[in-house]
Amino acid sequence: MAQLAENSVPIAEGLFEWLNDGAHLIGSKCLECSEVAFPQSSFCPRCCRQTTERVHLSQQGRLYSFTVQRFRPPPPFKGSEPFQPYGVGVIELPEGLRVTSVLEEGDPDRLRVGMLMELLVIPFFADNEGREVVGYKFKPVTEGKEPGPLS
Amino acid sequence: MREVYVLGVGLHPFGRFGDKDVIEIGREAVVNALNDAGLQWPQVEAAYCGTVFAGPMGGNKVLARVGLTGIPIMNVENACASGGSALRAAAQAIAGGFCDVALAFGMEKMPRGFIAGNPDDWFAVMGLAVNPQYFALKARWHMANFGTTEAQLVQVSVKNHRNGAKNPFAMYQKEMSFDEIANSPMVNDPLRLLMLCAPNEGAAAIILATKEIAKQHTTKLIKLASVVLDSPLYGTVEVPHISVSARVEAPTVTTTASRQAYEEAGIGPEDLDVVELQDTDSASEIIYSEELGLCGRGEGSRLLEEGATEIDGRIPINTSGGLLSKGEPLGASALAQVAEIVFQLREEAGARQVKDARVGLTHVYGAYGNCAVSVLQR
Repeated sequence: MAQLAENSVPIAEGLFEWLNDGAHLIGSKCLECSEVAFPQSSFCPRCCRQTTERVHLSQQGRLYSFTVQRFRPPPPFKGSEPFQPYGVGVIELPEGLRVTSVLEEGDPDRLRVGMLMELLVIPFFADNEGREVVGYKFKPVTEGKEPGPLS
Repeated sequence: MREVYVLGVGLHPFGRFGDKDVIEIGREAVVNALNDAGLQWPQVEAAYCGTVFAGPMGGNKVLARVGLTGIPIMNVENACASGGSALRAAAQAIAGGFCDVALAFGMEKMPRGFIAGNPDDWFAVMGLAVNPQYFALKARWHMANFGTTEAQLVQVSVKNHRNGAKNPFAMYQKEMSFDEIANSPMVNDPLRLLMLCAPNEGAAAIILATKEIAKQHTTKLIKLASVVLDSPLYGTVEVPHISVSARVEAPTVTTTASRQAYEEAGIGPEDLDVVELQDTDSASEIIYSEELGLCGRGEGSRLLEEGATEIDGRIPINTSGGLLSKGEPLGASALAQVAEIVFQLREEAGARQVKDARVGLTHVYGAYGNCAVSVLQR
């Protein structure tokens, strides 16, 4: 089971973890209405009850919309210098939610609405103590690879 | 509930004003509104101030330079809907019979550049939820689903800068060509720099009164027929958003707020003669024209193409130049929209005048989905 590499820290606690098949985002599912939320939440944002359980979200989804971040965002953004434009997208997951994410692909000509995307948990930048800070991205599923089932 | 009328409007131009302090910027708008209303300050019975960047007690600081009359002063921070929220509170005070004359005002001196996130927000550290990323995602979605084109996004900005060139209170006050906008730097695809509004400085003030008092001071009676403030329902996409439900499709906050505003005013979108809406970016104008019911879903770009949203069109949008030409001082923007509609309904809009405008609407939308909509009638 893959885990965080040595000298690495997650960008925030409780966003993702590794199972046998790789990293998953962690969400919450309402025991009353089955609505799934991300990040995990102690209450259900749909029916407002305090009845949720932790669930792992699918690793693949469809690109719902996208843009490219062309300028360096103001603080607290901590990307490395010099600034490299990056993609930002909304990925619709089979659990019935759309997650906003940084994209591994930053060329808008190689992105299209509806394409299959998969989760990537990778270092974003180094913190003041030299540790790699790990966050999540999505990337287009590469050609030739069998797409996972989407319910 | 009593009817509420607009007795006076006052503006401080929108733009950048060097070392001039935000309190003075606010004071000028308040004094201009008093002069427009033909009132002396001691006749005002309550004041509501909307501001995000003027700091704690901003309203009190401004009004200390107008006069200490002992009235209640309420400070409101509600992002882009701050001014609209102040207006609603002032209108409610009059409608409910708590006072007969109330002031709503707002002022800003905003930092340069795009509005930044909170240091504790891990998503902002990662590079998400930066203005105007979210607007770009909505724009791309609209293009992919309804065929809105980049040329149409340019056209919105051309139109609003053309209108703003005729508005002495606007920041840019100059026309921009199609090519100038289409060749400006890409910021968040498909949105380019000249398709985005700029945070800036400015102030606006509105004096509201009962019908009885309004009639004593003016023959140009403008009724504030409704003013609604809504926060969003679950299942709609707001700024910022980390995720949103794909299972629940709720009406957007612009839709719910405008429906309520129409209902309270006893009109429908087809009755509107002029509209000021939140053109944070070119695509937002197209999308909100749909959500306000000015046309059907997915038809906003056609409304633009037909010329319907021009000053001489069927439903003119952003005759003031909108936020694209004026810039957006958060606390003042909604109230400046109201001022523009009042100018239109009084036939004081000069080169921007919409012929025989009788009913107008204002709309602001901001962080966490706060949305304020008002309907004005003459």
